[in-house]
Amino acid sequence: MNGQDEKNLKELFEKFVGSSEAEKAVEDIRKGEQILRENPAPQPSSEVIDEIKYEIAKDLLQKRTGAYGFRKTVYEVAAVAAIVTILTAISIKFFVKSDEPYGPVKTEYASVIPTSFWDSEDAVTDDTDLAILTAKIEQIEGEMLSLQLGRSESNGQTAVTELEMELEEIESDFWKG
Amino acid sequence: MTEKDDLTRIIIGCKKGDGKCFSQIVDAYAGRSYGYFYRLTGNTSVSDDLLSELFVKLVEKIGSYRGGSFESWLFRIATNIFHDYLRSKQRRKKLLEAHQKELESELTEPKKSGGEQLDKLQIQLKKMDEDTRELIMLRFYSGLSFKEIASMRSEPIGTTLAKLHRGLKKLREMME
Repeated sequence: MNGQDEKNLKELFEKFVGSSEAEKAVEDIRKGEQILRENPAPQPSSEVIDEIKYEIAKDLLQKRTGAYGFRKTVYEVAAVAAIVTILTAISIKFFVKSDEPYGPVKTEYASVIPTSFWDSEDAVTDDTDLAILTAKIEQIEGEMLSLQLGRSESNGQTAVTELEMELEEIESDFWKG
Repeated sequence: MTEKDDLTRIIIGCKKGDGKCFSQIVDAYAGRSYGYFYRLTGNTSVSDDLLSELFVKLVEKIGSYRGGSFESWLFRIATNIFHDYLRSKQRRKKLLEAHQKELESELTEPKKSGGEQLDKLQIQLKKMDEDTRELIMLRFYSGLSFKEIASMRSEPIGTTLAKLHRGLKKLREMME
């Protein structure tokens, strides 16, 4: 303790005890600390100090390597993402025609069945037409079969012509509603 | 540049992970810290271990140092390390008590520690109560003010002053 420290300590003690007692306490502390100074503790060996420094250096290196490893991973991911972005941009440039309008492609649907067929509200007539159509189809199937088997009594060419005419008639009748 | 500026520069370097700055801290505080540990344990081997642990913790925790007295911060860590050591020693002692009385007597023997010859001061210090011994060593080796020590120990400054006064007076009487 230097002179200033002793003075400060005496002032501190005086907050709790009288001036003379404070002086005595400071003296006791000074002498006690003198004993500690006269009996110094051993110092750490240079090997211990070197080992500590080595451990610290190793620890710092590990931390740096760890941080480097993390940064490396981040850079790799960023590089892959950049490559994917560039390839996508190139693909768009080369494979999409510039005159084509952007936006989703519209799919057009067309029906072979006339809308009037579905719009009809006369279910009874429609059912009758359907029954006639079915009957005619069956009849034609029968005639076709007869022709294939050569059982037709009429001239083969005439029968085919008749069949074609009949089919045309059915088609026009049916789609007319 | 003052000593305080130097220390500030070194600490900033440590926070940046500069190995040289850590080496400077080791050079500056190893002696005092080792003395603190040795006077509390009376064992050089244990003190070596505790000193190593202190600097390992220093590297780990330097980021949490937010200014103020560096000595106070460092010796708070040192005190915690010593308390951890005491706790583990207590656990070991209990295990030994249960299994081997002979080994227990070796651990608690005040005059010898690992075959070392203790100096007179160390022998007298061993006779003192643990709390007073720790207070005396903290004051002597850390160089902290009474206010800082009282704050670290979470006790009124008057209590710290009285304990230290009584302890040092008793030590002087024992040494005479």
